Amino acid sequence: MNFDLTDEQQMIVDTTRKFVESEIVPAEEHLDPDAGSLEPHDFERLVTKTKEMGFYGLDIPAEYGGPGLDTTTRALMAIEMSQHRAGLYNPCYGVFGGAGLAQLYEATDAQKERWLYPTLRGEKKGCFALTEPSGGSDPARAIQTKGYKDGTEWVLNGSKLYISGADKADYALLFARTSDDPGRNGVTAFIVDTDSPGFFVRRVVHTLRATHYATELQFEDLRIPEDQILGEVNGGFAIANDRLSRQRIPYAAGCIGPAIKAQAMSIEWAKSRETFGSLLAEKQAIQWMLVDNEIDIRHARYCVLEAAQKADKGLRFRTEAAMAKLVATEAAGRVVDRCMQIHGGIGVTKDLPLERWYRELRIRRVGEGPSEVQKLIMARDIIGGSFK
Amino acid sequence: MKVVVCVKQIPDPALPGELNPTTNLLKRDGKLILDESDSYGVEMALQLVEAAGGGEVSLVSMAPNNEMSGLRTALAMGADDAILVSDENLAGTDALGTAKVLAAAIRRLSPDLILAGVESSDGYTGTVPEMVAGVLDLPSVTFAKQISIDGDTVKVQRQTEAGYDDVECKLPVLLSVTAGVVEPRYPSFKGIMAAKKKPVEALDLQGLGIDLNTVGLVGARQETIRVTEAEERESGEIIVDDGDAHQRIAEFLGELKVI
Ligand SMILES: Cc1cc2nc3c(=O)[nH]c(=O)nc-3n(C[C@@H](O)[C@H](O)[C@H](O)COP(=O)(O)OP(=O)(O)OC[C@H]3O[C@@H](n4cnc5c(N)ncnc54)[C@H](O)[C@@H]3O)c2cc1C
Ligand SMILES: Cc1cc2nc3c(=O)[nH]c(=O)nc-3n(C[C@H](O)[C@H](O)[C@H](O)COP(=O)(O)OP(=O)(O)OC[C@H]3O[C@@H](n4cnc5c(N)ncnc54)[C@H](O)[C@@H]3O)c2cc1C
Repeated sequence: MNFDLTDEQQMIVDTTRKFVESEIVPAEEHLDPDAGSLEPHDFERLVTKTKEMGFYGLDIPAEYGGPGLDTTTRALMAIEMSQHRAGLYNPCYGVFGGAGLAQLYEATDAQKERWLYPTLRGEKKGCFALTEPSGGSDPARAIQTKGYKDGTEWVLNGSKLYISGADKADYALLFARTSDDPGRNGVTAFIVDTDSPGFFVRRVVHTLRATHYATELQFEDLRIPEDQILGEVNGGFAIANDRLSRQRIPYAAGCIGPAIKAQAMSIEWAKSRETFGSLLAEKQAIQWMLVDNEIDIRHARYCVLEAAQKADKGLRFRTEAAMAKLVATEAAGRVVDRCMQIHGGIGVTKDLPLERWYRELRIRRVGEGPSEVQKLIMARDIIGGSFK
Repeated sequence: MKVVVCVKQIPDPALPGELNPTTNLLKRDGKLILDESDSYGVEMALQLVEAAGGGEVSLVSMAPNNEMSGLRTALAMGADDAILVSDENLAGTDALGTAKVLAAAIRRLSPDLILAGVESSDGYTGTVPEMVAGVLDLPSVTFAKQISIDGDTVKVQRQTEAGYDDVECKLPVLLSVTAGVVEPRYPSFKGIMAAKKKPVEALDLQGLGIDLNTVGLVGARQETIRVTEAEERESGEIIVDDGDAHQRIAEFLGELKVI
């Protein structure tokens, strides 16, 4: 593994860091500590900048007019973009644009025209509706939302739980059981507009996260034309597995940013705060916390970069991506927890970003596959398929 | 139109700097970055060339160890090419020596206009640009806050304490650009990817035709004799309001002649 950045990567990292420090942090300063969006004029102003810089739509592949970043560079940027208060779930408040759901790149041309391109242009938002009340770790078996065919349409009934941003989405990528197969071969993916009759956002589910609510959805005789199926009937699970594993890498990288920032804040604090006649930085208990933080941060970074480099080289990276997800989410949680302890009272106030990172990082160990499921993925890879 | 911008590459001011204990000079052996003071000159040059409908922005820098990270940033912003002067014998060069080196490099490019920062962020003697103009026998206008080109004349708003002077001058000329007068653009993605392919001519003293005895520690007429730590900032006075706080604050500001 070579963890040296190329000159271009270094410049992209430097530029992103400067952008966060000079544009995002000052614009965020006067917002509510739980804010999930910038003031509209700041948002417009910064989007103009990222467009001029050619950085808008980071995840858009080159063939769709995006910068076509490789996974390593994208992960390095994610580490920088999350170094502010809202950075975990709203990195740079979206001024670098959204990518659209990765699975939509597998859509038909007509589907791309209707949902993907408007999303890339920032005109439409999508949500990803997989998890159900019956469970999210093993969705292939847990999905109970049922679809049956009626003429040229499919009719869906059922519910979904913890679907992020469905209240603000224009369309959903929705998974339903469409055959008697109880596992992955009986699930179909549909793209459906959220204003379709029979599509209901029942409630917002409040979580540790300040913004970007999770929601509960219900479908009552929701009719979907068959040309809105993504991929094959009963082939919903086969879609874009590679892209999904790849997405775990920037997801993991995004956890490292707050950890780096929290660590920097804690070093500053330890060097200026006195108790019992000496600085915190002179006490071994505190030094060791800072060292443990450094070990956690570097370990997470190495795991993320290893996964990213394998992905970029076209090698298998499923184990590495799962490991990066697990290590980064757990390490960042420990780091921010220690940093809070070092800060004492002010650490748990909303005067500092630590408490928001602390709350929101806790979700990262559950979302996108809990730690235990990441271990299951790795176990399958290292022990062998017959031990599924 | 051809514009040359002098850009200094300096140790990252965000990192703790270190002095060489024998020479009292700043250690410059690590990565160097584009001095923010010079990012304004680069931006100004790019805007002038855009306004002129075309032209070329060239960079000139003197730095140790062929260091070009800072140059690459300016190239990624949009500058076209660069000359980098690096030579072991330049160690210890003072401001006049720097000016001689920069002037020799600039001469090779025969520009219409030369831009520099008013002062660098690490050395900040604020003398190099005028010395460069002196060596090249060119007019110089300092503290430029706005620049426009009209035929073979440059019109400059020159910042003063009270406001600004309007100055006109025939090209070629050297201008020093006040920090903060334009918003330096971020390097673009395309610019970053292209920066490495842009030509950077690396020259040493011999290549520039400069006599070794006129620069470096031997040629330096400036010497840093002593370095002392800056005094610690005194803690401020806390005024507890017993009903007269406003008066005491007003008195304090009055003493400072702020009000
Ligand atoms: C005694 C002494 C010894 C020194 N020894 C060394 C040494 O060993 N190695 C070393 O690298 N430096 C050394 N320096 C720094 C020296 O080379 C400075 O670059 C020079 O003195 C410029 O001074 P300044 O930073 O105050 O420039 P200022 O006059 O404050 O700079 C104004 C503008 O001039 C231009 N400019 C200044 N310097 C450069 C440059 N190098 N390249 C391109 N443009 C420039 C920039 O546009 C800048 O914004 C030494 C300086 C002194 C005084
Ligand atoms: C804020 C938030 C936003 C979300 N957004 C979305 C979204 O946009 N779209 C979407 O589809 N889903 C979303 N989810 C759902 C998320 O993906 C699921 O919560 C997650 O997959 C876990 O599913 P579950 O909650 O049903 O837990 P379960 O599947 O019931 O699992 C419970 C726990 O059991 C343990 N466990 C599970 N399997 C194993 C095993 N094999 N071995 C050992 N232990 C195991 C794990 O610790 C797990 O946390 C969101 C969740 C949250 C909290």
